[in-house]
This record gives sequence, C-alpha cells and structure tokens, in this order.
Amino acid sequence: MKGVGVSPGVAVGPAVVAIQRTQILRFTVAPSQVSRELSALQRAREHSREQLRQIRKRVAAHSGPDLAFIFDAQLLMLDDPLLVDRAEAIVKTKLANAEWAVHLAMDEVATVLDGADDPYLSERKGDLHDVAGRLRMNLRNDTGGVRDLVRRLDRPCVLVADELTPSLVAQLDWTHVSGFATDAGSWTYHSAILARSLGVPAVVGLGDISQRVSPGAIVVLDGASGELWIDPNAQVRREVEARAGRASGAPPSTSRHGPLSTRDGVRVTIQANVDRVEDLWAAKHTGADGVGLYRSEFLLSGYDSNLITEEYQYLAYRRLVEASEGHQVTIRAFDVDDQQLTATATPLHFRPAHEGSRQTGHAGLRGIRASLAHPEVFKSQIRAVLRASALGPVRIMFPFVSAVEEVRAARRLVEEAREELGEDRTRSEVPVGVMIEVPAAALMAGALAREVDFFTLGTNDLIHYTLAVDRTDERVSGLYQPLHPSVLRLVRLVQRAGARQGIPVSICGEMASDPVILQLLIGFGLRTFSMAPSAIGLASHVIQQTSAAHVTTIAARVLRLGSVADIETYLGDALDDMPANVVSSIREE
Amino acid sequence: MTSAAITVTNQLGMHARAAARFVHMASMFDARIQVECGSRTVDGKSILGLLLLVASRGTTVTVTAEGVDEVAAVAALLELVRSGFADGASSE
Repeated sequence: MKGVGVSPGVAVGPAVVAIQRTQILRFTVAPSQVSRELSALQRAREHSREQLRQIRKRVAAHSGPDLAFIFDAQLLMLDDPLLVDRAEAIVKTKLANAEWAVHLAMDEVATVLDGADDPYLSERKGDLHDVAGRLRMNLRNDTGGVRDLVRRLDRPCVLVADELTPSLVAQLDWTHVSGFATDAGSWTYHSAILARSLGVPAVVGLGDISQRVSPGAIVVLDGASGELWIDPNAQVRREVEARAGRASGAPPSTSRHGPLSTRDGVRVTIQANVDRVEDLWAAKHTGADGVGLYRSEFLLSGYDSNLITEEYQYLAYRRLVEASEGHQVTIRAFDVDDQQLTATATPLHFRPAHEGSRQTGHAGLRGIRASLAHPEVFKSQIRAVLRASALGPVRIMFPFVSAVEEVRAARRLVEEAREELGEDRTRSEVPVGVMIEVPAAALMAGALAREVDFFTLGTNDLIHYTLAVDRTDERVSGLYQPLHPSVLRLVRLVQRAGARQGIPVSICGEMASDPVILQLLIGFGLRTFSMAPSAIGLASHVIQQTSAAHVTTIAARVLRLGSVADIETYLGDALDDMPANVVSSIREE
Repeated sequence: MTSAAITVTNQLGMHARAAARFVHMASMFDARIQVECGSRTVDGKSILGLLLLVASRGTTVTVTAEGVDEVAAVAALLELVRSGFADGASSE
C-alpha cells in the first residue's frame, strides 16, 4: 500500500490497531474481520478476568470470603461456554460484532433463567448481566485496551489507527511504538508533527489501513517513501530494512536536567499529575517539577471511607510531600460523589461506581459540593493537608467549583481547620486555589480570581461541559474537540483573569499533552503544565523546540477563527516550520 | 462412558455456590462431563448450564463423563454432591 510518508525511517513490528472513530453498537462484520472480532473478545475477556480478580481480592480482604464468592461465580461465567463460546459462535455465524454477540448470548441464557421461578436464579441473572456488561465495556473501551496492549508488548509495535486523536496520543507509551500508520483524516498535520517530534517513522493517508490490518500482523513501513507492507516476505523485509539509514523508532531522550525553557528563552514549568505516591518516582525521572495535581480520591478507592481518617491521610500526604523533595505539591480535595465520600464498603460499592474512580461527566453532588455537604469529612482532609504542609510547599485545590460562594464557604472551613490545629503545626503560607472545570467558573474567572491564590484548568471536564459531549459515548465522542473555539476562548479567558489578578494559572487536562495544542497553550500565555508522567518527556522536548514569540502570534490568529476545521487547517500551515527543527535536534542528540 | 445418578440433598439444591464448586471440580478432569436433570442435559463445566437445571433438594441428577479420566471424574463429582457440596452446605 502507498500513503504519504510524513516522518522518515523504517519501522517493523506487529500491528496494534486502534479504531478511534465512532462505532455503532451493533453491526455486521465482513467475513475477513471475524478473527479480529474474536481476538477483541478474547482481549476483553482477559481484561475482565483481571478486573474481577482484583475486585475479588479487595472484597476478600475487606469483607471476607463469603462476599468474594460473588466474584468467583462471575469469573466462572466469564469462562462459561454458554456465554463466551456462544458469543464466539454468533460472531462466526451471524457475523455480528463482538459486543453485539455478547449481548445476544447473554439474552439467550437470561431468557431461560427467566423461565425458572427461583429467587436464587434471579440473583445469578444479575451476575450474568454484570459479567456481560463488563465484557462489553471492555470491548468498547478499546482505547484503554490499546494502551495496555502497547505497554505489555515485549517488542515495539507498529500502531495502525484510523486517526490519532489527542486523547490516544496522550495515553500511549511511545517508547513501545516503532512506527505508525493512519487512514488519514483531519489530524494528518497533527500526526505528522507528532511523528517527527517523536522521531517515529510514519505513513498517513492510507485510506482503510485500519480495516485491512489485523492486530498482530507484521507491518513494515517506510516513512520516507510512504510505502507499507502487511505480512511481507523475508526478501521485501530485508530490502526495506536495508534502506534504513538509521535505527528507527528512537524516541527523544526523556531525562532532562535544569529548568525548562522555550527556544527563545521563556521559562515553562512541567509538573506531574499523580494518583499515588509511586507515580512520583516515574515523574521525577522525566524531570517533573513538582506535582500539579494529586488526585486524593485515590486514597478512597477500595476502602471503607470510615477507615480514611485524618491520621491515615496525613501519612499519605506526608509521604507525597517528602518524596517531592521541596518541589511544590498541589493536593486536590476529594473529587468524588457524595455517596463515595460517606459510604461504607459493600460489594455494591465496589462494583461499577468505584472503578478507576472515574468521575468525568458526573454533574451531581460531587467535588466541593460534596465536601461542603460533609464539613467534618472535609475538615479532616484539610487538617491532614495542613499538617503535611509543615514538611514542604503544599497547595490546596477545590474541585468542581461553580460559584464564588462555594469558595468562600470552603475557605472558612480551611480557616477553622487551621485554628483547630494551632499555628505551630502548619506552614504559614498554604495557597488555596480552585480547579476551573465548569464553564460557569471559567466565565466568572475574574470574580473567582479575587477569592483564591491560584487557578488550575481542568480541561477534560471543561471540554465535556462546554461542548456537552460525553467522550465515553462513542456515538458522540467525535464531537469531543479540544480545539473547539469555545474551549479555546474559555481557556484564554481564565488565563487572562489570572494574569490580571496576578495569580498563577496552570493546566492539568489531557489537552496539554498534545504537542500541537501544547504550543498553542504557550501562545495563550500559559506557562505551567501538569500532565501524566508518561507525557512529560515528549512535552519537554516540544517546549524546547517552540518559539514562544511565534506561537503567541499564532494563538492570537486562532482566537479569531470560528470553527475546528479552520483552526486545524490554520495550525497545520502555521506550525509547519516547527518539525524540521525538532528532527534536526533529535539527530544531534 | 461412565454414568451414575444421585439425589441432591443439601438445603438449597444446586444453586450458585454449589454449582461453582461442581464446575471447579469438573474442570479438573479432562473428560467431557454432562449433567442431566429431568428433560434437560447440560455441560458439567458450565456454571450457567448447571443453574439452568434448577436442581433443587430432592431432585435426582445423572452425571455422565466420557474421556480418559471418566471413572475418577464421576466418582469425585458424586462424592461432592453426596457431601452436600462440601463445607458450604451447612452455612447455606
């Protein structure tokens, strides 16, 4: 096949195929795609098995073997011929996609179970629904699947995708990707810049490559000529490899020393988003300058919240602050639903609601709202943070703020907590800030800036609520667009409000991990970014190649454009001079 | 082929926990195992299949095994049913 070579070099490796595009829940597949569906089902099954084992372990440890038994039964169902074997048969005979087939197989069993008038059986039907639901979720969550697959591979793969969306780019560990190929799409310019920044050979504009390559097939591509072969014979492979003047797929060096600045000398700070103290070791290795977001709610996962005492939290925060060795640590107050804040551990509590502590999109009693509804829980958290602040520079951040009154109420509680502790046990200066992730807060940034010491833009939720798009719903996930002009304007508004008031503004959403958007954000005047440790190496590299003056001009132009398409086209042209510099610097290293 | 019949004697019959134990035991053997109850025959290594039998207390089930270790399989499974599905019986 032949496409457009956008990043030179030769890559060879087993294909990992990522389909980012909207999928229909039920569709028929071509006969040639059956094996792909079956392997997806197998992956989902393995993934589900691993999840169930983890849950079982947690439940067994906290509630004893009797409750853990539920998950034994579910694990058996995962291997049950009536469910998975049957689903496989349905894929083969009806050419149904795996997700649909699982649903059909479950329906068959459920119908028979319905016929039996036995209360115990209806309970098991609940388990059956759980297992089938988990399988389908894992099938659909192929983004996570790809990410994990890439990480697990023992040798670098060739990533084949319909398009490389910013969220996928941010999630992948690029040290495991030797090259990539895409169908094409609006992100062509983006793929090109990304590939050259990474020094990864790439071919784009291949049309239907993501449909034609089955996962695991050996893909050989030449990023200079734009050629690509699927399962080529040994001779072709030798010939192509001989063309390679240099080793392919060497990612930019990830360790860095000293302060980070742009090509024209503007200082930029990169911090790490951290869920657990352990993440911090990886972050420090990549040169992170402190923790820009510590998601404290991870302390709650798997535990009865009654067990999460002030003392327990203090120990956790102390470890975090000590491990940061004098760098700034920003601790975000629990961003969970009210129920998770107060619930005791039960198997139900462990089931879907808690997995991954994922709260994106939830608009109920969560974040600062839940904290204010439970002032004692909130104050015990604040006391623990204030105590840890004696050991290093700590900041407190309130999540999900939508009004000035919430900030005032929360600050009053912080003052109460401080008085309860007494002056000598805390640091005198503990900045208090808010996460800007609700459009209401972004629009009122000017007023909020007078009430707090700093802002952190939480772009994942901000995009979600601004565009009213649930990224986990594939039917609309394509509308989740970080470059939407409304999002960019809100980001700019918040940055200006902070600058006018003289308070720091940082950004901790995924969009900052995207090399293209990162440059644009620098152009908006943002200077502090917090991201997943795995994204820091690439981001540092991009920052060092960026001219702040140049991207500031570009950013001003972008703000005058009215559509995503216009912005993408403009960025494609405007940033085009950047990759050459990046490539040359990689070669010098 | 080896086959034997036995009556389910534990309080709740062959419901979830009992069925899970049965599947665990059956899966240790290579033999193909089937369980028959009334008009229905199911795979002895399928928890969903066993649940579908709705084998309550007092029901007679027939365990059939076919394969190299069929004799041992039937003996072990019969013993499991006879014991009221091992230690779980009394607590249920």
